[in-house]
Amino acid sequence: MSPILEIRGLSKQFGGVTALSGVDLAIEEGEILGVVGPNGSGKTTLFNVVTGVHKPSGGSVSFRGHDITGLAPHAISRAGIGYTFQQAMAFAGLCVLENVQIAGEHVRVNAGAGQPWSTPQALLDFVGLAALADERAGVLPFGSLRLLGLALALATQPALLLLDEPAAGLNDRETAALVGLVRQLPGHGITVCVIDHDMKLMQMLCRRLAVLDFGSKIADGPTGAVLADPKVLEVYLGGDL
Amino acid sequence: MIAGAQPNGPANAALRSLLPVLAVLVLIALVPLLSPSNRFLSLAISAGINVIALYGLSVLFGQTGILSMGHAALVGVGAYTAAILSRDYGIGFWLALPAAALASAVFAMIVGIPSLRVGGHHFVIMTFAFGQLLAIVLTNGGDYTGAATGLDLTGPVTLFGADMSDLTRYYLMVVAFVAAAAVASWAIINSPYGRTLRAIRENERLAASLGINVGRHKIGAFVVSGVFAGISGVLLAHFLGHISPTQFASFPSIYLALMVMIGGARLISGPLAGGILVAFLPEVLNLDPVQSRIVYGACLIAVILLLPEGLIAGAVQAFRRLLARKPKQEREDPDTTCTTPSEARR
Amino acid sequence: MRAVDIFIQQILNGLSIASVITLIAVGVTLIFGLTGIINFAHGEFLMIGGIVTWLAVSAGLSFPLAAVLAILAVGLMGYGLERGIFRFTLERPTNGFIVSLGLIVVLQHVVVLFWNPNQKSIPRPLTTVWEVGGVRIASVRVMVILITIAVVALSFRMITASRYGRALRASVEDRDTAALMGIPVRRYITGVFVLGSALAGLGGALLIALFPITPFTGGTMVMKGFAVALIGGLGNIYGAVAAGLILGIVEGFSAGYGFSQWTDAYSFVLMILVLLFRPHGLFGGTSGPRMAS
Repeated sequence: MSPILEIRGLSKQFGGVTALSGVDLAIEEGEILGVVGPNGSGKTTLFNVVTGVHKPSGGSVSFRGHDITGLAPHAISRAGIGYTFQQAMAFAGLCVLENVQIAGEHVRVNAGAGQPWSTPQALLDFVGLAALADERAGVLPFGSLRLLGLALALATQPALLLLDEPAAGLNDRETAALVGLVRQLPGHGITVCVIDHDMKLMQMLCRRLAVLDFGSKIADGPTGAVLADPKVLEVYLGGDL
Repeated sequence: MIAGAQPNGPANAALRSLLPVLAVLVLIALVPLLSPSNRFLSLAISAGINVIALYGLSVLFGQTGILSMGHAALVGVGAYTAAILSRDYGIGFWLALPAAALASAVFAMIVGIPSLRVGGHHFVIMTFAFGQLLAIVLTNGGDYTGAATGLDLTGPVTLFGADMSDLTRYYLMVVAFVAAAAVASWAIINSPYGRTLRAIRENERLAASLGINVGRHKIGAFVVSGVFAGISGVLLAHFLGHISPTQFASFPSIYLALMVMIGGARLISGPLAGGILVAFLPEVLNLDPVQSRIVYGACLIAVILLLPEGLIAGAVQAFRRLLARKPKQEREDPDTTCTTPSEARR
Repeated sequence: MRAVDIFIQQILNGLSIASVITLIAVGVTLIFGLTGIINFAHGEFLMIGGIVTWLAVSAGLSFPLAAVLAILAVGLMGYGLERGIFRFTLERPTNGFIVSLGLIVVLQHVVVLFWNPNQKSIPRPLTTVWEVGGVRIASVRVMVILITIAVVALSFRMITASRYGRALRASVEDRDTAALMGIPVRRYITGVFVLGSALAGLGGALLIALFPITPFTGGTMVMKGFAVALIGGLGNIYGAVAAGLILGIVEGFSAGYGFSQWTDAYSFVLMILVLLFRPHGLFGGTSGPRMAS
């Protein structure tokens, strides 16, 4: 089977600084892939280039065989790639329900026909926020806000979901709830790519890991094997392992 | 305590926000029965014409969060379109309406595309510059635009054969236009389109991640505000019978922004309240124009610092807190209830 | 007069007007670049500087003394407005901008209320006109240009070279960290605002030395100031000076060759074009201090 997202030779320079150099990465349909690396390894740049925030300096990204390199952020979303941010999770001044309504109104490709949440309410039920539907998003506790962010991305009916540090700032109980939700997604036809440096989270979520360091991919394979790789150990020496 | 708090459903809740505005407008339409002075009628007509433009500004600023300092220029495009059509082609009031709305919308797009590309705080300065440029172009337009003296409009406004130029009739017609503008703005606020605009106001990057073409919708909101402004311009031109460039430069734009912010840009009642307050406050307080401008400016500063959502929202909040002081205190705290549907509801 | 004489004449005339605009632009660029405040009432600060000069000269004071009074008065006014109003809007720049619109209206009409809306002028502080070749050089214009060069150079040195300036730039980069390092960020913001205001006060004094002013003079001048600041790149003093020069020369030529009715349009057209093709200005600037969003 061909990969759902294929990144080939992706590079990005900011002025004279190389943030990504020739990264190849393929995401297979139905998996939960983890992209890890220490701070400054190029994870966020990779995320920003794939989601259209930055134009790449070289290389290409194709989604289901179509070239999507350099498309604008909204076009990436409409093509069927959902994504969540570390910071901006929801529209703080609007209510929870309205947040999800907005997110569902600009879908072009109905990529996830098998997704069980056909209405905003159903989606809020799925992430466990139904009781808070009429609250202003800005007053939600942080954990609920992260879940709302996930709900917004899901409302766009993505075939592929990119999560940028989805558990940052969450406590253990909230992290466990999030992990529980994300694990269900492949069963609903949604491929997931998690970008994070938290190895504990990655071990819970992903069977396959790719490791970035100084803008290059240094390892890619089954989680166990990658974590035993001496190169990876060196990068993370004294780190999170 | 919150889920299911609206037993009548969202449609009725939304309608409830419009009814007070329409009720007030009905009362205003009954004022001629009290045989008011011509001075009152003229003042009210000017206020009403402003309010129509303000409803456009409320879509742009209140919903989309884009501040424009060129709104009076869009009104001016409408007014000059009406005047030139009337002079060169003998086209009257009613046909000028769609033409002017279109002209202002096109001008808004021409200004909006480059200005919004620049983005951020620079946008405001761009709209200001375009407003000044328009005034300069009109002043240097020679006979075509009447240069600094401007243009005269002749020919009465008629409706089904009746002459509407009579002050009372023109007054009633403006009230009807204000009602239409309020309903149109209400319909936009309560539509999915309005939601999209609010999403852009709240967070552009997140909006884009959800498939919203932020740039196109911002220009769209600018164009929508231009339609309101164009119609307001036609009414203004035919009411005054004479227009000149300085009426549409940047300072009139500042006054429009000031009115909508004093009333409250996010509420359906805000433009109406702001337009009326600014027009009639000097009368009530017996101020001369210079003093009243000082009062407006001071009001604007006070409103922004103390009641950032405008006078009406501030008053409503204070009133609710007073009503529900003890038993329901928690629920009425503005920081914990959802403000969005009520934005449209108040 | 020969063509080349007219040419030089127009450059001189343009440069003296450009000096006043540059003073506004440097104030605007400093205040925005270092504090994030967009103060559209800056033109009214200039106008009030002119009015103070007019009052002082009318009361019999010499022009230099009147100019110093104008600098002090407008600097003091800036202090009061920053402490009393603008500091409450630091986290929300849009509110600061709207407040400055309110200030425009208030300041203009307070001046009208007390001193009527008519034109005000003072006798030229320097009346000598030098004839060099065929070119007539009014000494007052040369004075305006020289004072501007001196003052802008001094401000520039203050911002870039001193300990104060380094701390300032640190607080632009990261307000919170700067505060943690013990830099009194709030006090520096006030300081920059007062400095920018004082420059506007001087600009007003120089302006009324060249032309009569009215309570509404500030409106066009501030737009030109912002245009120059944006063309040069916000926060970039070099850029403001260079853009001020360009604009002054363009305006001078236009007036000298019979297009004076379009003079006010150039700054806007130039700004719109520059922002379209180089959003950070011709010489690069900041997009203002980073805010906690």
